[in-house]
Amino acid sequence: MSGSKQGFWAIAIREVLRMKSRPLYGLSMIFAPLFCFLFFTTLMGEGLPQSLPAGVVDEDNTAVSRSILRNLDSYQQTEIIKQYANFSEAREALQKNEIYGFFYIPKGTQEMASSQQQPKISIYTNSTYLIPASLLYRDMKTMAVMASAAVGREVLYAKGANLDQAMGFLQPIQMDMRPLGNPWLNYNIYLTNTLLPAVLSLMILLVTCFSIHTELKDGTAREWMSMANDSVFKAVSAKLFPQTMVFTLMALIYLILLYGLLGFPHNNGFWPMFLAAELLIMASQGFAVFMVSAIPSLRWSLSLCTLWGVLSIPISGFSFPVMGMPPALQALSYMFPVRHYFLIYVDQALHGIPMVYSAWYYVALIVIASLPLIDIHMLRKAAYEYSYMP
Amino acid sequence: MLDVAGKELRNTISDIGVLVFFVVVPLLYPLLYAYLYGGEVVREVPVVVVDECRSATSREFLRKSDATPDLKIISYCADMEEARNLMHRHKAYGLIHIPAEFESTLVSGRQATVNLYCDMSGLLYYKAMLSGCTMVSLEMNRDIQMTRLSGLSDREKEVMTMPVENEYVTMFNPANGFQSFIIPAILILLLQQTLVLGVSMLAGTEAERRRAGVLILGHEYDNPITVLGGKAFAYLLVYGFTATYVLCFVPWLFDMPQLWQMPTLVAFIVPFLLSSIFFAICISFFVRDRESCFLLFVFVSVPLIFMSGISWPTSNMPTFWKVLAQFFPSTHGINGFARINTSGALLQDVRMEALSLWILTGIYFMLSLFIYERMYRSDKMPGAEFVISMRARARRNIRVAVRDIREAGQEFIDTTQRIQNIRRYRRGKKKN
Repeated sequence: MSGSKQGFWAIAIREVLRMKSRPLYGLSMIFAPLFCFLFFTTLMGEGLPQSLPAGVVDEDNTAVSRSILRNLDSYQQTEIIKQYANFSEAREALQKNEIYGFFYIPKGTQEMASSQQQPKISIYTNSTYLIPASLLYRDMKTMAVMASAAVGREVLYAKGANLDQAMGFLQPIQMDMRPLGNPWLNYNIYLTNTLLPAVLSLMILLVTCFSIHTELKDGTAREWMSMANDSVFKAVSAKLFPQTMVFTLMALIYLILLYGLLGFPHNNGFWPMFLAAELLIMASQGFAVFMVSAIPSLRWSLSLCTLWGVLSIPISGFSFPVMGMPPALQALSYMFPVRHYFLIYVDQALHGIPMVYSAWYYVALIVIASLPLIDIHMLRKAAYEYSYMP
Repeated sequence: MLDVAGKELRNTISDIGVLVFFVVVPLLYPLLYAYLYGGEVVREVPVVVVDECRSATSREFLRKSDATPDLKIISYCADMEEARNLMHRHKAYGLIHIPAEFESTLVSGRQATVNLYCDMSGLLYYKAMLSGCTMVSLEMNRDIQMTRLSGLSDREKEVMTMPVENEYVTMFNPANGFQSFIIPAILILLLQQTLVLGVSMLAGTEAERRRAGVLILGHEYDNPITVLGGKAFAYLLVYGFTATYVLCFVPWLFDMPQLWQMPTLVAFIVPFLLSSIFFAICISFFVRDRESCFLLFVFVSVPLIFMSGISWPTSNMPTFWKVLAQFFPSTHGINGFARINTSGALLQDVRMEALSLWILTGIYFMLSLFIYERMYRSDKMPGAEFVISMRARARRNIRVAVRDIREAGQEFIDTTQRIQNIRRYRRGKKKN
C-alpha cells in the first residue's frame, strides 16, 4: 500500500474534500452560525428596549392627571402612544397588542388628592409579553410613586423644609441597585453571550453525528477505517480535525464580534473565553461521538443530538435559573457542554474573577470531550457490520 | 385526491422517522418543557449580607428581606471580601450591604442608602432582588414616617405619607410567570417545526427513491393540484389531532392560563396549520436526502422564536428582521395564539394575524404548486418511468465504473511499488 493514502493527514484531506463536495456542510457549518451571530446581535442592537408603546385612560382629565402623564412620557423606555376613552377600549388595545400596558387614572383623582382622601391610580401590563411588561412596570411604578411624592413634597416645602429634609422624610431608606458586570441591563449582552455558543454547539453536535453516519450509510466506512490502519481513535480524530478547525474559526468570529466590535464586558480578557469556546467545541464533538458510538442508528443518534442541542439553551440556565428547575434536571444539566460554558462566561467575562474559581467547569468540558473513550470501540464494530436501515 | 391522501398517510405511518416528528416529539417535548419551567417564578434567591451598621433598624431590614418570598439570606459575612467570595463560588446571587452610618443618618432625618449588588447572569435574580428589597423598604419607610408624624391621627398620617396610592395589576398572566409566557410560543413553534422536519424527511425519502428510479407519488394523475391537495389533506388530518393535544391538552395539564374560546381557536389554528403545511412542502424541495433536514432546519427554531416578538418586543426590532419575520407562519401563529390563549382575545382582535396566515397559505400554495408542476411534468412525460430508471441505472453504473477504475489505479501503484521494493532489495543484496 502506498504511504500517501494512509494516516492522519490523508484522512483529514479526504474529509475536506467530502465537506467541499456537499453544499449541506457549508450551509450548516458556516452559513447557519454566521446567520445566527448576525441575527441576534443586530436584533437586540438597542440593548435595552426604548420607547415601549403604552396607553393611558384618563377619566379625571385635570391638571394633576395631565402632569402625571406628561412626566410619564418623558421616560426613555415608555412612549404614550394613545389616550383611550375608557377602560375597555384600553383593554382591547392590549389584546390587539397595540400597547404593552396602560395607566388608569379614575375620575375624581385631583379632587380626592386635594381633599386628602388618598385616591388610587392603577397600572396594568400585559404579562403575556413578559419582558416589555416588566420594563414598563418599572417606569410606571416609579412614576406613580413620584406623582405621590410630588404632592407630598409640595406640602413639606410649604411647611419650610428643604429638599434634603423633604427627601429624608418622603423616602427615608433608599435602594441603590448595582447590577454586577452589566450595569446597563443590556439584553444584548445578557442573551447573545449564551445564545451564540449554544447555536454553535447545536450545529457541532448535528454535523459531527451526520458526518460519521454518512460514512456508515454510504458504505465508505471500511475504506475510512483501513486508511487509519484500523485504529478507530485515529480515524475519528483525523476526520473531525478539519471540522474542529472550521468551528474554531466560527468561534473566533463570534468572540471578536462580541468582545471586539461590540465591546461587551470581558473582564479577564480574550484568552479565558477563547479557551472556553475551544473546549466547548471539543466537548460538543466528544458528546456527539459518544452518542454515535452508543446508538448506531443515524436517525436516533441525530434525534438525540438535536434534543441535546436544543435543550441546552433553556437548561444552561440563563433565562430561567437552574435552581428553579426540578432536581432531576439540575443534575442532568451537568451533562450539557453549554451549561459549563455559560458558568465560565459568568465568571470570566462578566465578573472577571480569578480562573481558579472556574477551574471545575473547564475540567468538566474536558471530561465531556473524552466521553467517547468509553464506547468508541463500538463504532469500529459498527463500521464493519453496519447496514443502513431507512 | 383522497387516494393520494391515503397513500401519503400510509407513507407517514410506515415511516418511523416521520412518525417521531409528527407524533412522538409533539407528544413528549411539551411535557419536558413544562417540567423544566414548572416553577414559573424564582423564589428564595440566596443572598449574602454585610451589615456594617449592626443596629436594630438594619437588623429589621434584613429580617424582613429574609421573610419575603423572593430572597433568602444564606450568610451574614464579616466583610465584603467574604461576601464576594461566596458570590464567586455561585453560593449566592446577591449581596445586601448596609453601610455603618445607616442608622445615624436615619435618626438625623436624612436619606439613608442600602446598597444592593446583583449577579447579572440571569435577569430573574435581578428581578427577585429588586422586588424583594423594594417591598421591604416601602414598608419600612412608611413605618418610619408614621413615627415621625406625631400629633396626627392614623388616617391623617397615612394620607400624609402616601397622598396618591397606586396598585399594580398584571393582566392575563397573574403570577407574572415564566412558563405562562414562554410555553404558548414554544407550542406553536413546535407544530411548525415538526411539520417542516417530517415533511422534509418524506420528501428526502422520495428524492432518494427517485434517484434510485422510482417515480414521484401521484404521477399518474392529470392535475398536480390533486397531488398537492391530497398530501396537504393527509398532513392536516394528522395535525388536527396533534394540534388538539398540544394546544388544548398540554396547557390544561400544567394549569396554565387558558382563556380561549373554541370558535376563535379553530378559526385561527386552521389557517396556521395550512400555511405551515404549504410552507413545509415548499422548503422540503430543497432536501435531497432523509437526514439533511436536521442540519438545515433545526437551528432555525432559535431565531424564529425571537422573531415572533414574544421575548424581544417587535416594536424595537430592526425593520429588516421585522419584514423577514412576516414570511414565517410561526410569527403570526405565536402572536395570535399567545393572545387567544393567555389574554382571551377574540377572532376580531387577532384578525391581522389570521389574515396574514391566509395570505401566507396562498403564497406558499402557489409556490409549491409551481415547483411541483415542474418536477411533475418530467415524471408525467410518456416513458418517464423508463427514462428515470435508465438514469438511475446509468448513475449506478458510473459509480461502479469509477470505483473499478480507482481500484485498478491503486493496484497499479501498489504493484509498481512492490517491483521497486524488490529491485531495491536485490540491489542491496548485490552490494553486500
